[in-house]
Amino acid sequence: MDDAPATDEHLSRLMARAQQGDNEAYVTLLRTLAPWIRRTVRGRRGFLGDQDVEDVVQDALLSIHTVRATYDPARPLMPWLSAIVRHRLADAGRRHVRHTAHEVHVDDLDVTFQSATANGCEETSGDPEALARAIQALPRRQREAVELLKLRELSLKEASAATGTTVGALKVATHRAMMSLHRMLRGIAEG
Amino acid sequence: MNTDELIDRLSRDLTVVKPLSVPGVRTVLWLAWAAMYLVAVPAVIFATRPTAGVTATPLFLLQQGAALVTGLLAARAALASVIPGASRRAWVPPAIGVTMWVASLLSAVVPDLRAFGTLAFTSERDWPCVASIAMGGIVLGLPLILMVRRGAPLTPRATAGLAGLAALSVANMEACLTRPHAIVLTVLLWHGGTIAIVAALCAMLGRRWLRWPPHESMPDAGGL
Repeated sequence: MDDAPATDEHLSRLMARAQQGDNEAYVTLLRTLAPWIRRTVRGRRGFLGDQDVEDVVQDALLSIHTVRATYDPARPLMPWLSAIVRHRLADAGRRHVRHTAHEVHVDDLDVTFQSATANGCEETSGDPEALARAIQALPRRQREAVELLKLRELSLKEASAATGTTVGALKVATHRAMMSLHRMLRGIAEG
Repeated sequence: MNTDELIDRLSRDLTVVKPLSVPGVRTVLWLAWAAMYLVAVPAVIFATRPTAGVTATPLFLLQQGAALVTGLLAARAALASVIPGASRRAWVPPAIGVTMWVASLLSAVVPDLRAFGTLAFTSERDWPCVASIAMGGIVLGLPLILMVRRGAPLTPRATAGLAGLAALSVANMEACLTRPHAIVLTVLLWHGGTIAIVAALCAMLGRRWLRWPPHESMPDAGGL
């Protein structure tokens, strides 16, 4: 793959220490690897937007975390790491193709129906800025739940892995967040 | 959540993990389980049906040896395929094993065809062996699937297919040891067909069985 982020020996030592539970070594390792993974993803999937690139980077970091027991400290780290990133990239590519295959491009027509009353502008799609402000105003757990499940469209399992909370707690937080958002946005709309 | 927050979170919840043993060692462990199966099941069958069993001709031994080698190499390849960075050609040795096995069966099929003609295709039905191979495949395959689930699901279909092939190859040995077959073509068609179909089914189900797990469900300790 692309140029390695630091000497393999140094990274191998960090991973070996991480396997023994050394948090500092693990933070250092992941912070060293993240920019390299980001560069690799951008280099190989130029068509992905910034948010998609970041999603793949986070996917790769989560994957590294979940399968860290498969790393053998006696072997170099980069081939192990490259294999994970390569496969996660392939998965992201497949996901991207699946999503774009189901997208339908519709021309932005001024008139959509023959009946004039059906083309009224009373129903708006809402104010995105107000929504963003309302999300920011949510308590931390609820905000995280909305960001992960509704905005980033992670599955409950993935969001649970990312936040360290249970699936049940996430469901409750999401439900409460949606109720709060509904109340806040209705309040704004009614002035 | 941004990437820095994710890194902080992952490192905050960090637990000690023992690196998995190398695929060779894990293969030997699975083989020990397979050996117990190969001793226990025929022992029970011989005890209940004293007439069961086969004559161990050199060709029969060669066929069983090839089946065992195939099972061994397929199990090792399955276990290696979940280690990131391991050789991408892990499927080559099992393919050689399968070739040897099929060749050993074909060498015995030719005389059968000369002797029986097309009757060799239809004279024996082997549903008991199909059931036995399928059951044995479950008993032997389940631990192997559990073992590969502890690795990285890089190529889930290939991994599941190889695990299925390994388990079914050994289960086939039990079927061959306990039920005599008059015509080797029966073994090639019925046993080979069962193994091919069930292993393909395993490969198709690979993506369901082997997924990237949420991080807290990974083993924290224990190296196998």
